[in-house]
Amino acid sequence: MSIAAIIVMIVCIVALWGVASVALVYSLSQEERKLQLIKKQGGFEPYSPQALRDLDRWIEQNNTSEHAQEMRNVHEEQRTALQKCTSYFYTWNRSDIESLKEI
Amino acid sequence: MTTTISREKWGSRFGYLMATVGAMVGAGNIWRLPYVTGENGGGAFLIAYFVLLYLIAVPGLMGETSLGRYTRQGLLGTFRKVYGNNKFVGLGLVILIFNIILMSYYSSIVGWSIYYAYHAVIGSFTQTQFDTTALWQAFSSNTALKVGMHTVAMLIVTGILMMGIKGGIERIVKWMMPILTVSLIAIAIRGVTLPGAMAGLEFAFSPNWEYLARGETWLAALGQALFSTGLGWGIALTYGSYLGRNDDIPLGGGIFTAIGNTSFGLLAIFAVFPIVFAFGISPTSGAELAFVALASAFGSMTGGYVWALLFFMGFFFANMTTAIAITEVGVTTYKEERDTSRSKAVLTICGIIWLLGIPSAMNSSILGYLDFVVGNWGLPLATFIIMLTIGWKFDANRLRILSLNRGADLYVPKFWESIVRFEIPAIMLFIMVYFLYSNLTATPWKTVSGLAILTLTIPLCMWIMSRRQASAHPATNVGGQSS
Repeated sequence: MSIAAIIVMIVCIVALWGVASVALVYSLSQEERKLQLIKKQGGFEPYSPQALRDLDRWIEQNNTSEHAQEMRNVHEEQRTALQKCTSYFYTWNRSDIESLKEI
Repeated sequence: MTTTISREKWGSRFGYLMATVGAMVGAGNIWRLPYVTGENGGGAFLIAYFVLLYLIAVPGLMGETSLGRYTRQGLLGTFRKVYGNNKFVGLGLVILIFNIILMSYYSSIVGWSIYYAYHAVIGSFTQTQFDTTALWQAFSSNTALKVGMHTVAMLIVTGILMMGIKGGIERIVKWMMPILTVSLIAIAIRGVTLPGAMAGLEFAFSPNWEYLARGETWLAALGQALFSTGLGWGIALTYGSYLGRNDDIPLGGGIFTAIGNTSFGLLAIFAVFPIVFAFGISPTSGAELAFVALASAFGSMTGGYVWALLFFMGFFFANMTTAIAITEVGVTTYKEERDTSRSKAVLTICGIIWLLGIPSAMNSSILGYLDFVVGNWGLPLATFIIMLTIGWKFDANRLRILSLNRGADLYVPKFWESIVRFEIPAIMLFIMVYFLYSNLTATPWKTVSGLAILTLTIPLCMWIMSRRQASAHPATNVGGQSS
């Protein structure tokens, strides 16, 4: 086989089998973490800090939208989960959690 | 939301992941991708393919799965929630019809793979002087046998789907997919150790960079990336509707599904081409490759019985997991729309598919015609409709915030929205126009008749649903106006 073909073959193996294997193992381990949190405390917070910032921004910009109430409900669900739970699925700063207010 | 209260869910993460990747891995991964790769510049094609996979298939699958998980409904229920009780629910019916037509002829291909798996089990290919060309010709000309195998395929699909999502689909794919993986790995190891096998890998991987500048290479890569992942056919939406509220979508439903599916294609390259070149067979694709060339090669190999058995059982599993997924789209939708039992929905949908599939089983020209129409325009149109629905009607921004990033193992940033809103619909339009342009001169009758049927399907479905909506469902929608 030519050097170029060998390089392409190795890149393909890494880009496909490598990525797929890492994704599978990581996904299964994260699911295990979620299950542990559910067993321990009955649930966990559904959104990451970044995702929550997007949610806050949406509510701020679309306060009168017909979907605003649904978004506020989701925000409240997140706030309640963060205050109720002692362990978190995502990484949070204590100050971020304490500064969360009802919208 | 009444239908979602007692809705079944996947029993495990592994089960869901195997089901989605199994849905996407089908005949095309094994008998098409290796050849298309070799014919379109090898490594250059693979680069184009990866780019398109990450730019289109991964974001598209994320969107479709997250819409299904959000609505927790089948195709029509999802369209009703997004568009409201009006004629636009008919767009969901259009996609459902394409799915049923697709399955009506895909069932014949599953039937072929069952027939060859049977021959592998009884050891036909290792018999002295066995002629695989004669076997394929005898099978192709035996109408009763082909209809019989189509019937067997639909009976197996019916049996599996009757047992439900967790007890049927999940239970089956959790062992079918690992067996398929092990089978292909074993054949690949055997293949690359054959004398002359390296020429096959050279054919597949040797990069011919000038191909990257050719439009045909990118179009072939685009077709493979879209059709192999089943983006926009309602499968990801339906399987996503059985996910839990806080299950991850971006990593599992997007990246793993698309990359895992292509990983099977790469495995097929290692399994198929070394054997093809080691035995001096002309590289080709489709039924001729699997049922004539490879069957013949297995017969000549030491331990050929085992290799033929592994290949044809694996090929059957790949086709069966796809058939189950395509049929489940109709079953889930029918069950919800008719508010009936799962058994009744399975029997009805499988019965319809079986009946519609008989002409394709009897006559390969009909199968070819349906594949031509559905593959060239039906499925791109389905993807176009679903992506417009996600991007514009539901609002990609709201879906990303509400559903896609909920419980996600990976954060999906804002640029995902423009891919779903602009990029994928524009590419789908381009594909449909290109196929029209390229086929109109060569096959005018097929092209015009196929397009006429498709064009009529849309207003007809919208008319049917507008008549049905008024009386059957109260106004409920989550995405826009209701009527």
